[in-house]
Amino acid sequence: MRKILLPFLLFILCFVWTSTAFAEVQVRLRVIGASNDKKEIDPSLKDIYKEMGSLFNFTSYRLYRDENLTLSPNQPVSISTRKRLIEVTLIGLRKDIAELKIRVVREEKEILNTQVRLSPGKTVLIGGGPRQREGIIIYALYARF
Amino acid sequence: MKGSCSALSELLEKYFDQEVTDEERSLVDTHLVDCHACRDLLKSMEKMRDLVKAPVEEAVGEENFQWVWQKIERGIREEERPAFWETLQRWLQIPPLSKRRVWIPAAAMVMILFITLPLFFKKNPSYQSASVVEYVESATNNVMVYESENSKVTVIWLFEEPEMETPSS
Repeated sequence: MRKILLPFLLFILCFVWTSTAFAEVQVRLRVIGASNDKKEIDPSLKDIYKEMGSLFNFTSYRLYRDENLTLSPNQPVSISTRKRLIEVTLIGLRKDIAELKIRVVREEKEILNTQVRLSPGKTVLIGGGPRQREGIIIYALYARF
Repeated sequence: MKGSCSALSELLEKYFDQEVTDEERSLVDTHLVDCHACRDLLKSMEKMRDLVKAPVEEAVGEENFQWVWQKIERGIREEERPAFWETLQRWLQIPPLSKRRVWIPAAAMVMILFITLPLFFKKNPSYQSASVVEYVESATNNVMVYESENSKVTVIWLFEEPEMETPSS
């Protein structure tokens, strides 16, 4: 009986270990400042500038922060920039779709609460805000599988 | 050596090796009483044996044959193991309740495969085609979601009130 039980238990242990080890996802979060005060595009934003350029009419895009977040299920990770805080939580991971809960907080007040599904190649841009001299903030989220 | 000695030489070797019958032994014993040459030959054979035996026994004493015995025992056990068909026939003959040694792990294995395989092969067509944004809410501001089928980018836009400029003192 031991001869059968031991490999069986090892199989279960391996299965549990692999399922927990891979239950995390890498998310690239870029904090971009968009404005019309200058006419310059940050070279590190060339990959998404085409998309942003077709959607918005800003002349300047500057990269404030570029973070690689390793998200584990239900473990919020937050980044704060320019009076705002963005909190990203992985709430589900199915095959190649990461379900993320995103909260944006300004001055301790939640201004946005959303849930998105990120699949390979898809980017979610979260932007907006009052137009001021320094422009607006755009968060670009991209999941790496 | 006498003529009878040459006839007895083969028997003498068997006598030395203690492989003779009782009848042959008495024949050799009788011959040895009278034959000095055969007695000498027997003694020289004994001396030769002692010469060889001592170093061999010494060498054998130094060797550890434990693993050889283990190998032999394993070989015996493997030989004793019944063939697959015999095992199957025997297993089919035993009552069903006694088969649980096999049934329980097999059933558990099937259950695990039944639960895990869909996870690996599950298709998510609804997710692939569904909207990227599951829900969006803001208690303070208006929100716009822009999604295009061809575009790789989804936009969530927040309309915020203009911030009051703080006067510089």
